[in-house]
Amino acid sequence: MAFLEAKKVSKFFGALAAVSEIDFTLEKGEILGMIGPNGSGKTTLFNVIVGVYPPDRGKILFSGKDISGKKPHKICHLGITKTSQIVQPFTSMTVLENVMIGGMFGKGLTLSKAKEKAKEFIDFVGLSKYLDEPSGKITVASRRRLELARALATEPEIILLDENMAGLTPWEIDEVLELLRKVNKDMGITLFVVEHVMRAVMGISERIIVLNYGEKIAEGSPEEVAKDPAVIEAYLGEKYA
Amino acid sequence: MLLLLQTVVNGVLLGGIYAAYSAGFSLIFGVMGIINIAHGELVMLGAFSTYWMFTLFKIDPFISLPISLVLLFGIGYLLQKFIFNRVVEAPSIMSYIATFGVHLIIANLALLLWTADFRSITTSYSGIHLNLGGVIIPYARLVTFFLAFVVIIGLYIFLYKTDTGRAIQATAQDKEVARLMGVNVYRIYAITFAIGAAITGIAGSLISTYFIIYPQMGLPYTIIAFCVVVLGGMGYIPGALWGGLILGVVESLTATYLSAGLSVAITFILLFFMLIFRPAGIVGKGIIE
Amino acid sequence: MEKKIFSKRNITLFFLILAIILILPLFVHGYLLRMLALIFMWIGLTACWNIIAGYTGYIDFGSVGYFGIGSYVTAILMTKAKMAFLPSLVFSGIISASFAIPIGIPTLRLRGAYFGIATLAFAEAMKQVVLELDRVAHINFFGGSHGITLPIGPGNEFFYYVMFTLMFMVMAVTLWIERSRFGYSLKAIHEAENTAELVGVNTLFAKTTAYTISAFFLGMFGATEAYWVTYITPNDVFNIHVTIQMVIMTLLGGMGTVMGPIVGGSFLTIISEILWARFIYTYMILLGIIILIVIIFMPKGIVGTIRGLVIKKKVT
Repeated sequence: MAFLEAKKVSKFFGALAAVSEIDFTLEKGEILGMIGPNGSGKTTLFNVIVGVYPPDRGKILFSGKDISGKKPHKICHLGITKTSQIVQPFTSMTVLENVMIGGMFGKGLTLSKAKEKAKEFIDFVGLSKYLDEPSGKITVASRRRLELARALATEPEIILLDENMAGLTPWEIDEVLELLRKVNKDMGITLFVVEHVMRAVMGISERIIVLNYGEKIAEGSPEEVAKDPAVIEAYLGEKYA
Repeated sequence: MLLLLQTVVNGVLLGGIYAAYSAGFSLIFGVMGIINIAHGELVMLGAFSTYWMFTLFKIDPFISLPISLVLLFGIGYLLQKFIFNRVVEAPSIMSYIATFGVHLIIANLALLLWTADFRSITTSYSGIHLNLGGVIIPYARLVTFFLAFVVIIGLYIFLYKTDTGRAIQATAQDKEVARLMGVNVYRIYAITFAIGAAITGIAGSLISTYFIIYPQMGLPYTIIAFCVVVLGGMGYIPGALWGGLILGVVESLTATYLSAGLSVAITFILLFFMLIFRPAGIVGKGIIE
Repeated sequence: MEKKIFSKRNITLFFLILAIILILPLFVHGYLLRMLALIFMWIGLTACWNIIAGYTGYIDFGSVGYFGIGSYVTAILMTKAKMAFLPSLVFSGIISASFAIPIGIPTLRLRGAYFGIATLAFAEAMKQVVLELDRVAHINFFGGSHGITLPIGPGNEFFYYVMFTLMFMVMAVTLWIERSRFGYSLKAIHEAENTAELVGVNTLFAKTTAYTISAFFLGMFGATEAYWVTYITPNDVFNIHVTIQMVIMTLLGGMGTVMGPIVGGSFLTIISEILWARFIYTYMILLGIIILIVIIFMPKGIVGTIRGLVIKKKVT
């Protein structure tokens, strides 16, 4: 039994199928990558998994249990959370308070316990010096780390990372990759990564699925995917032609 | 049967006028995201300009339409330029409350100047009507109904066929892109508000020909405009027509078969359920945040 | 963010003010006492509005609906069931709150302007139903536009204490929200509702709870006001201007703060008391101008603006 499994999941916006009959499996402890051109349905698929939209067709199973149609906070309590492509910190709150929200509501900790835990996660992502800084005032790179810390604070089993490295310098990307490897190996959290930075996603993922026009067109190891003619045409073709 | 027919006809005629004064509300919301609580005051100003023109100078209400159009265009332009443009980028609560401030100022200035008296206009043609096999249609209302249509169609053509209209649409869709293309967004906002105010002023003038007018009439009109626009779809101009007609007929039916007082309650219950089940309006083309 | 609200000095100050307020009716009577009770009521109402609108950012244009429900529940219980005031008061709160749950669950799914309009529609529909039901159903229950006359109540001292107690309770709840887990969930909703949901906040539950707490107190204020003025009509107790006053007072004081309603509420009540009776239209015009000035020049309200000035001074 797969840890997280999608069975023929579809999501329509009007007549347009943003995600169409997608199947995938995610095994416990792995890092799965997802790539695809803009508008290929990656973010929509993530939103369907965490319950922002219920799937119009198909099912999502988590440890064998059907979670499709549950609200995001329920899915978070079950152990799946997501970081967003567009960073959305609670801007008037401090970095500490932002991460505390994750602990208090994702994990159900008391205020003081959440504060204690939050400090550990902030330390882990390397933002300790900004602890009491309003989150609206830190750099984009720091906000991306903050999103990760807040997600970690919910103590999830799976984190979906939606372009967590967008807008970062190559040097910053290496740091984040190192961090993500630690999250995966040391904390034992399963990762599902959407990333535009090819080098990053190819480097970190054990397996990759490729989406185009809402459909899955390829799946395999990074090397296999990179050689797949359909992928080259749909994705790399567009990107490097 | 005749009663039912008469009721529906009354509703449709009423709906036309609802549509006319709600179109401006929808336009202003669609372009700037402002819920204009002072909208009813624009209706009131239109109505009073026609009233004074008629009472003081014996100018026929239908002749004075262009005057209230120009007057309200000017007022609208100034309001947006000096007040709403300063809050249009702030969180939307700020603009609601600013429009509320304007509502208080205009309504109470009017009370100071013109007293709270109820007024009406009686023209030589006020009483005459068309009799279609027992169904009675007053001419003034019929003409008003068609003018209301003309106003909405005119607005539609303006938005789709003129350069200014296209600039307004571009601004409504993405103001940053519009800015990059060289559109002066604040000026477009002022023009949009001015146009919204002008067509609302015309509707107010038309209303003065058969409804009682008074300085505090604004708020109920604002609330009805809310309802009409929600029914038709917020920010979708032709939706005002749908919303107006539906609301007009529903109110008319309630007044005939239940109680005139309950028609307002029914309106709000309708509005309440619309918002919950079809927030994009009857035709489903409204803007949902 | 360790705000020392419960420092020794603050606690002493708090008990001093409390003592003064409690013994004041021994020295102050008549008009001034009535005025103070009125200020307590408006601070309390504003704080109620602040709980839903200030903390979650959901701008409620229908708050007066719950005020009116509370008024009518007490009026009906006291006249028809001959119930005493205090139990009627509690019933008013409970019934208002029990309206808020079924109204809140569907409307709080709506965002932005849509929530405001839906709540406005709710309050206006309530008013129309109370106004028209008797005539349509041929009963004598709400008294239509003539309203209900309540039994004559005790003097101003009584209402002074009741209004103060209610205000004190709302402020205490606000202070608790400010510092609690629940308050964090409301603030998270205000800042970024989708993200709040993703990190585990049951947003609908939190919003509905805040809305219901607000309605509970609004209902009790409505009940007290009804007994105080002894005569209520739908046009008075469901008057949209009551909601609007709450909005303006909150805005004047500063949204989403504990102090905001106190500052905004007392400031505006005093101004309105000075101007209202003699120059009502001028007062309303002035109110409009104040609103525009606050919105354009000090959007954070009086409290926020002063706080901003103090911080600036400390930095330089």
